Amino acid sequence: MAITEMFFWWYSQGWQVFIAKIRTWLSGVTDFFSMDSLVRTLFKPYRQISAESATSTTSLDLKFHMFIDRLVSRLIGFISRLILLIIGTVIIILGSILSLILIILWPVIPLLPIVGIILSIAGVIL
Amino acid sequence: MKNSFDPKNPRVKKAYQKRILNSPAVLVLNLVIFIALLFGGSALLYLKESIGWTPIGFSVLPAMLIYWIKNALSYINIGKTDNFTDLISESLLLSLSENTTPANLIKILPKTRSGSFIMARFGLPIPFFNQIIEFLPAATEPIYAAAHDIREVTDSEEITGAVLTVAIISTLPNYELLLNQMKLTMADLHQGIIWFNYLNGMVKNTKKTIRSGGIARDFAFGYTPTLQRFAINLSERYSGSHTKVQQADHTKIINQIIDTFTHGGRQNVALVGAYGSGRSTIVNSLAETLMNADTKIPHSLKYRQIYSLDAPSLISAAKNDGELEYLIISILNEIYSAKNIILCLDNAHLFFEEGPGSVDIANLLVPVLEAGRIRIVLIMDDQKFLEISAKNPALANTLNKIVVKPADRTETLKILMDQVPFFEYQKNVIYTYKSLTEAYRLSEQYIHDVEMPGKAKLLLESAASYAINNVVTSESVQTAVEKSYGVKVKVASDEEDRAKLLNLESLIHDRMIDQVEAVSAVSNALRRAGAGVKNQSRPIGTFLFLGPTGVGKTELAKTLSEVYFGGEGNLIRLDMNEFVAASDVSRLIKDGASDSLSLTAQVMKQPFSVVLLDEIEKAHPSVLTTLLQVLDEGILRDEKNREISFRDSIIIATSNAGANEIRDKITAGEKINDFKEALIENLISSGEFKPEFLNRFDEICLFKPLSKEDLLQVLDLIIASTNKTLEPQKISVTVNPEAKQILIDKGYDPKMGARPMRRIVQKTVENIVAAAILSGHATPGSTLHITPNEIEIN
Repeated sequence: MAITEMFFWWYSQGWQVFIAKIRTWLSGVTDFFSMDSLVRTLFKPYRQISAESATSTTSLDLKFHMFIDRLVSRLIGFISRLILLIIGTVIIILGSILSLILIILWPVIPLLPIVGIILSIAGVIL
Repeated sequence: MKNSFDPKNPRVKKAYQKRILNSPAVLVLNLVIFIALLFGGSALLYLKESIGWTPIGFSVLPAMLIYWIKNALSYINIGKTDNFTDLISESLLLSLSENTTPANLIKILPKTRSGSFIMARFGLPIPFFNQIIEFLPAATEPIYAAAHDIREVTDSEEITGAVLTVAIISTLPNYELLLNQMKLTMADLHQGIIWFNYLNGMVKNTKKTIRSGGIARDFAFGYTPTLQRFAINLSERYSGSHTKVQQADHTKIINQIIDTFTHGGRQNVALVGAYGSGRSTIVNSLAETLMNADTKIPHSLKYRQIYSLDAPSLISAAKNDGELEYLIISILNEIYSAKNIILCLDNAHLFFEEGPGSVDIANLLVPVLEAGRIRIVLIMDDQKFLEISAKNPALANTLNKIVVKPADRTETLKILMDQVPFFEYQKNVIYTYKSLTEAYRLSEQYIHDVEMPGKAKLLLESAASYAINNVVTSESVQTAVEKSYGVKVKVASDEEDRAKLLNLESLIHDRMIDQVEAVSAVSNALRRAGAGVKNQSRPIGTFLFLGPTGVGKTELAKTLSEVYFGGEGNLIRLDMNEFVAASDVSRLIKDGASDSLSLTAQVMKQPFSVVLLDEIEKAHPSVLTTLLQVLDEGILRDEKNREISFRDSIIIATSNAGANEIRDKITAGEKINDFKEALIENLISSGEFKPEFLNRFDEICLFKPLSKEDLLQVLDLIIASTNKTLEPQKISVTVNPEAKQILIDKGYDPKMGARPMRRIVQKTVENIVAAAILSGHATPGSTLHITPNEIEIN
C-alpha cells in the first residue's frame, strides 16, 4: 500500500518537490559564491585598498600615483572576483545540467528495476 | 463541518505511516538495502556477471522510499475541509480514536506538547482535570465544536492539544467562575495558545537557512582594524538570530532608518527614548535585516555592518587627549574608506561630555554628521538629548531625531513571550503566563527608571531566583518585587499576616492609649491594602492628625511603623518647620546622590513606610502645594524628573492647629464627632489650611486631650518601657498605686499631654533606679519597688 502511494507521489508532488529542491540548491550556491555581489562590483578596488580620493589641492604627480594605485587594486579585485565567478558558474552549470538530466529521467527512475532485469537477461556486461 | 474523529481520513493513515516508516530503524534498514544492492550489483558486474544489473536496478526502490519518507511524510498538512479530523495536529491524529471520550481526552492531552504547554503555563495540573471530569459533556462533539471556534479566534493553523485543552475548559458549566478563582480569564487561555503557536513557529523558522551574502560579500569593502579593536560587530552577533520586532512602532522606525540611509542628506539617526524602551533591539534588528539577503532593502544598504563603538575601551587605550583624537580620526577614516560600516554610538552622551568613561568628541563628530559621509546611529535618552541640545545646539540640529516610545501592555506581553524561552534556557526554569502579566503590572507600578518592555523583562529575570520547583509564578514575581523594592505587594495570605491585620487595633493599643477614632481609621486603610482592595493609584492611606501636643499623634505613626511596616526604621519623618520657605521645595525633591535625607530619596529607598509630616501647618504654602500630588496620586517627581511612588506608603500629617478648640470642647463634655466639621470649617476660614489641601486626605482625625485616667495607662507604658531598658541587667522596677498617683498629679498638664509625664518618670523613677544600681542595692534578679516616699524625696 505504501509502495503504491510512493509511486503515485513520485509522479505527482515528488517531481515538484525535486524541482523546488534544485531551485533552493542553485539559490544557495549563488549566495555562497556571492555571484550577485561579484557581478555588481566586478571592477571595484579589492577591499577598498587605496580608496583615498584626490582633492583639488592634490598634486598631479600624486594624482597619477593614486590613479595607478587604484588601477592595480581594481585589477586585483577583478581577477579574484573573476576566478570566483568562474568557479561558481562552473558549479552552477554542472549542477544545472545534472539536475536537468535528473528531472528528465525522473519518470524513468521507478522503471530502473525493469531496465536492470532486461539488461541482465540481455547479458550486457561492461 | 463534522465535529467527530474520522479514522478513515487519509491524514490519519499518513500519520501512522510516518510513525512507522520515519523511524530510525526503518530508515537505516532501507539505507543498508540500498547500499547492499548497489555494491552487490556492481561487484557482480565487475565479475562479468550480467545478473548484477538486476540488484543495481532494484537499488532505486529503497532510495526512492527514503526520499518519499523524508519529503512526503515529513509534515502532514491540514486537510482541505473544515472537518475536525482535517484540522487536528499530527500528535492528535495518532492519539484520538472514534471511541475517545472526554475522560480519555484528559489523559491524552498532557502527552501532547501543546497540551502540556498550556497546563504548565497556566498552572492547570492533571488533578485539576481529573476533578472536572464529572462536569464535562458526555460526548466529545461539543468539545470538538468548541475547539473549532477557539482555533478561529486564536488564528491557529491546526487544532492542537493546546486548543483542545482550552476547549475542554470552555465546555464546563460556569467555567468563567472557575477561571476567576484561578485569577484567569478565557482571553488569557487564548493568549496561551497564541504563545504556543508563536514559539512553535519560531522553532520551525530556525530550521530555515539564512542567506547572508556568501564568501565574496565583503570583497568590495575595506578593512577596519582599529574599529574592530574598539567596537562590537552587531551584524555578526545578530545575523540569523531570528530577532523579531514585536512593536509596530519599531518596525516603522526601522523602515524610517533605512529610508534615511538610502536617500541623500544627513546620514544619521538619533534614537531618543528611555532606557528599556527597546532602542538597542531596534538597532540589533536592523543589523540582522541588513545582513539577510532575502529582505527587501535597497542594494546600497545590503550587507552593511553595524558596529557599536565602546567609549570606555577607547578612553582606556589612549594615553592622552591627542592620542584619543588620533584613534577616533583613524576609526572615522576607516569607516569612511570601508564603505560598508554603520557606526552605532550606544549611550551617545558618553561621546559628548567629559567625565569618567566618557569623552567629548563633538568637535570631531559634528563635521562628520553634517557632511553625511558616514552612517551613524546614536542612542540616547530624552534627558541627555535635551542636555546635549542645550550644550551644543549645532550638534542637535544635525541629528535626525526619532523618538522611541515605550511598549504598551499587549506589545510588552508579546515581547515577554518572545524572550521567555531564552530566560528559561539560561535559568533552567519555566515561566507561567500569570508571571508575565504580573511582571508587567508590578514593574509598571514599582520600576521607574526603566521603560517598558525593559522593566518587565528585568523583573521577570529576577523572579527566576524565587521560582518554586523551577516554576516562576506570579507569586515569584511578587516576591522579587518585595525583596528588591522593600514593598508589600502580596495580598495577606498567611495566617500571621491576616491575624495581624484583623487585630491591628489591639496591637496598636498595646503602645497607644485611647484615640480610638484615629487608630481605627489607619487600621482600616491597612486592611484595605492587605486585602488588595485599595486604589492602586494612591497611597495606602493619607491622614491628617489634629490635636494638642503630647496626645499620641506622632506616637501613632511610630506604632504603625513598628507594628505593620517592620520597625521604626520604616518611619520617614520630616519636621515641616524646616520647610518654611518657598525655596525649601527643592529640598523635598533632591536627588539621593546629593541629599540622602530628602523626601523623594528616602521614599525611593524605602517605599513601604509611614511618611510622617510633623507640624504640617508650619510648612510654606508652596511646600504644601508640592505635596498635593503625593496625597492625590501617590507620585512625586524628583529633581531628575523621576517618578517616585508613594503608593506603598501611609502618609500622616500632624498639626497642632485647632488644639485649643479641641481641648475646650472636650473639657466642655462635647464628643469629637459633634464639633469635627465645624472645627475643619474654622481651620479653612481662618486660613490655616486651604480646602484643596484638606480635601486630599482620606481622613482627618481629631486627637482628644488625655485625661488623668488615660495618663495612668501612659504611665504604665512608660514604666514598661523602662523595664525593657533594664532587661539586659536583669533588674525590674514596680511603682505602687499611691506612687503612681503622685506621679500623675505631678505630670498632668492638659496643655502638654503625656510629654511632662515622661520627664517626671525620668526625674523620679529612673533616677531612683540609677542610684540603686550604682549603690549596689539593685543586683541582677532584684525588683525595685518604688514608694510614694521615694518619689517625694526625689
